Amino acid sequence: MCAVDGSNEIASYLIVLLFLASFLMNFTDIPQRIQMQRFSSFVRKRLYALEELEADTRRKAIAYMSSVGIKEPSKVLEGFIDNFFLIRPVDIEPTDIIKRLKHLIRVREGSVRDYVRTVLSEADRSIQYSVESVLEVVSALRLLNKLIRHYLELGLKYNNWILVMQLAMQIPEVVEVAKAYAGSIDAFSSGIPIGDSVGPLVAKMLVGWGEPTRELSEGTDLYEVEIDKRKVYVIKASGPGSNVGWPGEALERLVREYDGEIERIITVDAALKLESEESGEVAYGAGAAIGDPGPEKIAMERVASEHSIPLDAVVVKMSEAEALSPLSKKIYEGALRAYDTVLKIIREKVREGGTVVVIGVGNTVGVR
Amino acid sequence: MVALQLDSLLVALMIAALLLLLTAVLPWILSVASSKSRVVKEELVEVVKCLKCDYESVRKYEKGDYVGKVVGSCPNDKGSLVVKAIYVERYTQTK
Repeated sequence: MCAVDGSNEIASYLIVLLFLASFLMNFTDIPQRIQMQRFSSFVRKRLYALEELEADTRRKAIAYMSSVGIKEPSKVLEGFIDNFFLIRPVDIEPTDIIKRLKHLIRVREGSVRDYVRTVLSEADRSIQYSVESVLEVVSALRLLNKLIRHYLELGLKYNNWILVMQLAMQIPEVVEVAKAYAGSIDAFSSGIPIGDSVGPLVAKMLVGWGEPTRELSEGTDLYEVEIDKRKVYVIKASGPGSNVGWPGEALERLVREYDGEIERIITVDAALKLESEESGEVAYGAGAAIGDPGPEKIAMERVASEHSIPLDAVVVKMSEAEALSPLSKKIYEGALRAYDTVLKIIREKVREGGTVVVIGVGNTVGVR
Repeated sequence: MVALQLDSLLVALMIAALLLLLTAVLPWILSVASSKSRVVKEELVEVVKCLKCDYESVRKYEKGDYVGKVVGSCPNDKGSLVVKAIYVERYTQTK
């Protein structure tokens, strides 16, 4: 019966061990410290992957800039990253905040444009736009990595396990967005439409692949067509380089030119989908479908309300990663449905002989 | 045969340990079982359309093409062929 006695002894040891472990787990900080180590190692692994992604994106950016004739592309890249930041205007005094924000955005964009022009003065404007986008992508990835490292080191420095845990919970989502950013560099450098190009794509379908009548504001074109006896003005950014244009300002100018004699304004853009929604779903509603920081959207809302013009929004749903990645078949099919929706709105809500403005909002990369 | 006799408490502890192990690997088993399909091939294609007739076809993307570019003439009526869209075709494999 000695073996039975031996198993009893093992059981007793295990029970004591369980009690001891239970005490340590419930009444000390040891579990949190173990968890913090686990989570920080989880974050660190992904951070290495993000840094590798950034290095790869840098290599691609340098290769692209070199291919378009930029001398010393790595120097140009280093000169851009960490610079050209934008300090948002004071918001505790909201008077004129949109005017101030618009001014600052224009100043920053002007500086970026000048920076690219100095190294690429001979190139076509659409190539200059694409180089700007490539630089912005690398800069965004650099900032993302710096932020992740900052929060990780802050959490470890102050033993803030909640911060490290939050970071670990959010980092898979951040990695997906970073991968989409990194993927977009191929689209920008090769001139392939991305998910966000659905607005310009629908606009191009409406104009029957024709050429623009004139430039309304910098990098923003106007097309004039007739659809079922309705005069249709179509506004989109000038392509096929990576460019979003100034659609709000262009709309404002157009409506003022025609003294508000516009029956309807329709905006078409990509919209972030909820997880339960399918990519490429199309929905329509009221308002300005545009995701800018404010000035362009408010310009549309102001000019529409000033002249009491109904403002419609048609959106194609997609994830953030899809918006930055090359256009998928699902999103393309969504663009076809959005085109049908816009035509339906024009036929049903604009009288014959009437005038309507359609704005294809988004990045027009790969769409002339 | 005495050596094989185990205390019931020890058996219970071993069962508990086994259950704990199962609980730990269950999320992984579930994630493997729920993955339905994976992308096996991606191809960049373009839709070309005739400006005169309804002719439309999907072909492999050619470097330098963009939406709105005239890329040839229609095999039906010699009208201009224009790139209507460029997108990624994904071929998936169900597990």
